[in-house]
Amino acid sequence: MMADLMLEVKNLSGGYDDLIIVKNISLNVYSGQVVSVTGRNGVGKSTLMKLISGSLKLSGGTVFVLNQDVRSIAKHKRLKMGVSYAPQESIVFDELSLEENLTLHYEGTDLASYDEVFKYFPRLKERLGQRAGTLSGGEKKLLSFSRVIAEPTKMVLLDEPTEGVQSDNIELMAEIIIKEKAKGRGFLIVDQNLTFLERFNDVIHLMDHGEAIFKMEGLMFREDIEERITI
Amino acid sequence: MAYTLVVKSLLLAVLILIPFLTNSYFAYQLGLYLLYGMVGQGIALCWGKGGFLPLGQALFFGIGAYISGTILQDSVGWLSVISALILSILIPAFIAGLVGLLVFDRQIGSGPYFSLITLALSLLGYQLANSQVWITGGFNGLTGIGGLPGIDSYGSLYFFIVGALAISTFVLVYLIRTPFGQLLEAVRENEERTQFLGINTSLVKAAAFAISGAIAGLAGAFFAPHQGIVTPQVVGFILSAELVIWAAVGGRFGFIGPIVGAVLIGFLASGLRDSFAYWEVGVALVFILVVLRMPGGISGMVTSLLRRFNIDILSNNVSSRSQIIPKKNNLRKPVLKFDNVSVKVGNVSILDNLSFTIENPGVHCLIGPNGAGKTSALNALTGKLDYNTGNVYWSGKSLKGIRPFRTPKIGIGRKLQVPSIFSNLTVRQNIDIAIWVNRLNIKHLFSLRPYSWGTNLLKDLEESFPFLNKTDVHAGTLSVGQRQMLDFAMTVLAEPDLILLDEPCAGLSKYETEKMILAISKLAKTSKATFIIVEHDMHVVELLSDNVFVMHQGKLLAQGSLEEIRANKEVQVVYAGGSK
Amino acid sequence: MEALITFVLNFIYSSATLALIVLGLAMVFGLLGVMNMAHGEFVMLGAYSAYVVQSLGLNFIWAIPISILVCVVVGWLMEWTIIRHLYNRPFDTLLATWGVAILIRKGIEAIFSRDYKSVDQVMPGTIDILGITYPSYRLILIAIIIFLFVTLFAWYQKSKTGLRIRAMVQNPGLASAVGIDTSRLSTVTFIIGVSFAGLAGVLLAPLVRVEPYIGLDYLLSSFFILIVGGLGTLEGLLIGSAVIGGSDALISTIFDKTAGYLSVLLLSILFLWLRPDGIYSRR
Repeated sequence: MMADLMLEVKNLSGGYDDLIIVKNISLNVYSGQVVSVTGRNGVGKSTLMKLISGSLKLSGGTVFVLNQDVRSIAKHKRLKMGVSYAPQESIVFDELSLEENLTLHYEGTDLASYDEVFKYFPRLKERLGQRAGTLSGGEKKLLSFSRVIAEPTKMVLLDEPTEGVQSDNIELMAEIIIKEKAKGRGFLIVDQNLTFLERFNDVIHLMDHGEAIFKMEGLMFREDIEERITI
Repeated sequence: MAYTLVVKSLLLAVLILIPFLTNSYFAYQLGLYLLYGMVGQGIALCWGKGGFLPLGQALFFGIGAYISGTILQDSVGWLSVISALILSILIPAFIAGLVGLLVFDRQIGSGPYFSLITLALSLLGYQLANSQVWITGGFNGLTGIGGLPGIDSYGSLYFFIVGALAISTFVLVYLIRTPFGQLLEAVRENEERTQFLGINTSLVKAAAFAISGAIAGLAGAFFAPHQGIVTPQVVGFILSAELVIWAAVGGRFGFIGPIVGAVLIGFLASGLRDSFAYWEVGVALVFILVVLRMPGGISGMVTSLLRRFNIDILSNNVSSRSQIIPKKNNLRKPVLKFDNVSVKVGNVSILDNLSFTIENPGVHCLIGPNGAGKTSALNALTGKLDYNTGNVYWSGKSLKGIRPFRTPKIGIGRKLQVPSIFSNLTVRQNIDIAIWVNRLNIKHLFSLRPYSWGTNLLKDLEESFPFLNKTDVHAGTLSVGQRQMLDFAMTVLAEPDLILLDEPCAGLSKYETEKMILAISKLAKTSKATFIIVEHDMHVVELLSDNVFVMHQGKLLAQGSLEEIRANKEVQVVYAGGSK
Repeated sequence: MEALITFVLNFIYSSATLALIVLGLAMVFGLLGVMNMAHGEFVMLGAYSAYVVQSLGLNFIWAIPISILVCVVVGWLMEWTIIRHLYNRPFDTLLATWGVAILIRKGIEAIFSRDYKSVDQVMPGTIDILGITYPSYRLILIAIIIFLFVTLFAWYQKSKTGLRIRAMVQNPGLASAVGIDTSRLSTVTFIIGVSFAGLAGVLLAPLVRVEPYIGLDYLLSSFFILIVGGLGTLEGLLIGSAVIGGSDALISTIFDKTAGYLSVLLLSILFLWLRPDGIYSRR
């Protein structure tokens, strides 16, 4: 049986105004699948995620979520359509408390949907009243990660989720992703930490100069990727 | 240029003939609207050319009127007329210049502060005019103002007004063609970039505002004998508002538009104001429409209509670069030193005890992951970012607290990350401004000589990037790659000793990247300058760099040749990230 | 002693009314970055609502819902047709809202003429307080303003909408990523801002001469307060109101009204030059 197509990106190009950074990228994410994107700094990975999430306007190509063309759908409506997005930078509301950060997007202040992730990251639960700006970079990443995991969505976009996160917590993140994947969620993850991606990857793309230059399936990608990444 | 000259001469001829073609009352009314149009020309200079909007221009008009009114009340000799004219020009100009200096000094861009302060000044003027009865005659105004000696206010005074208008038009048109005018337009297009070209932009804006005040004062000086009475309304906010509306509707990007607006709306209003209660509501609606939909106003529409018939009245004739300016000497000790520079915003460290020294000219590349502080380091160096502790030294001198527009004077040139050029100016005008950096001084500011300046470096650059010869093309229509190249050319044309390039190859195609690399390495060889290049593209780094600095989390992580950097374990960890 | 108490009460009264007037502008400028040049005109619309309510013979209290209705409708129209398209283009917003200000002024002038209208005192008479007699409406007004500030502040801090507005202001990109409709929220913020201006107009109507041009004064004094107090904090707003209100009152008493105005204007220019971010800035 063919799994459901969660995200379909075709010939995507775009950037900032007429400064085109991402060129002609195509990728698919099926239900229960993790698709990874890796590459050096500054090759356009985050721009790709911004284009897919609706933060930037496309200059070419299409993005379909659950078989629906989302090009003309406003960014804020995409969560309801079933896509969560954890951006790379400015990932939390610094002046708001952790609790406010986790609950502002739905009515009420019930944290029940976070029970599962709080088991993995109890420190977050202990510090709910604290301002998010007091967290370290890695802790902010965990907060942002927790939010998207708890959202009732079928497709998750994660941009550099492990940047600055301690290695034991990276392992816990990987466990959560494996679990969620088994429930049928689709993931598109941009990360440079190959060890992290090796835990769950289904398809990996390597980007350079805004283009996808190499694609590979499965977990045994390290050698092939490393020989193609140079500083 | 030829077309505008013809158009302007024709208009002038029509204005001179009007009293003979129509009745004298019509000419008398027209005279008043022409005076308002003159004030509008000053508004156009600030708003259309300089990009900042004065909302209280009636203040200067009114001051001129009160001064000339007071003098003409008492005596009627030509000496007093001339002194009235001079004072009516100088005093408003001085006030405007002073206000401009104070308000512009700390603000960049055209935010609301300036406009609101000028509005407040006009309100203050209105209150003073009402309360200081001993000067202004208070609510009843200054009455019994005589005309100019032997000149009939209802007759031949009109020709003096047309003469004054012709002079102000000529002065403004000339002014905008001079380097001063071009710099003013550059400020409107991109104030930050203009500062990095060594221009004290607040001074340029204040000067333009002072000139607009002078013109308003001159118009006011004629208003007093024309009307025979000066009341507080002439300094008030209602007239101020109307002046802006007339300039906007007529067209604020030229100096004929404001006159057209004042005359057209003036006559329409005198006919319709009483019979149609919602007349002024309609005018306000038209103003909003102009602001939102057709910023060029009536004259903008006419220009684009003419362009459809291939008549381009705006084309400039371009002088040839006949005067080659020799290359300037290099600094003797081009040493750059960052000494424990730290910047914290909130609890986030942007720069964290950053220290490094560059002693030798050549190409130094600055690399590091996003948010490592590369651009912030350049900002600290060029006065764009205050640092809490530490210091930056350039050729032995501390740069702490330097204002951005001073950096070119000490031999620092900077290209910003996003190509910043002056989109609405032509390629030629962009290059002119770049050549003037450090070479233009006060005596050149109002002369046309600097347009003939050229340098040997410019010839080299034109060889590398042939499109730089397309003088008439507007820079905004260039491709991203060409804009990067133009920006690069503008940065280096001042022949700085320290050249800071923030991602010069971003958005370039492979072919364009090669050309850019070639141009940089050629310049590095010939100029003996020190380059610091922030770059993500390792291909560029590989081809250009003599020395590489790696930054991470606001600190210097490593330094050395590219081979050494590639072999560095720490760098591999943060950079390739592959195997943590 | 009595003179001192009177002065202190006057000072509190004038600072409080100024703070009420600037509140809406501070919201719109501080949170949305929109310099609403028509802010004073909304105060003026509120005052005219009070005038219309009284001339229709209705109870004064009706002026409150009516003014808010008027401001919501006009504010929504303005946001929908103009402001929405100009976020992040401060200069264009300045121009367009200034055009709207003229439009509203001229519209009111065409309907009601330029003549002064007076709104009758709602609560004539005085109260004995701290050994002096003081106009009762002024005291009530101070109490209402304190109540409004506390309510608004609590709403901003505690309600979900307030929370989302704070989130949007800090990080608009992330706010829309978590599903917040930032453009709708901006509309709401703008409308609340102008409605507070309208409410201020109603409350002040019995104390001032109502005419189409009163808005300008309110715009400028609000603007001076923002310059002195800085953007983005309640403390700044209150201190700015006290500084501007205080120096205006003091200089006006010693010399005359024009001198008071002159001092406030010079103070603002000096602040722009020496402390461009105001006393309290967000940074």
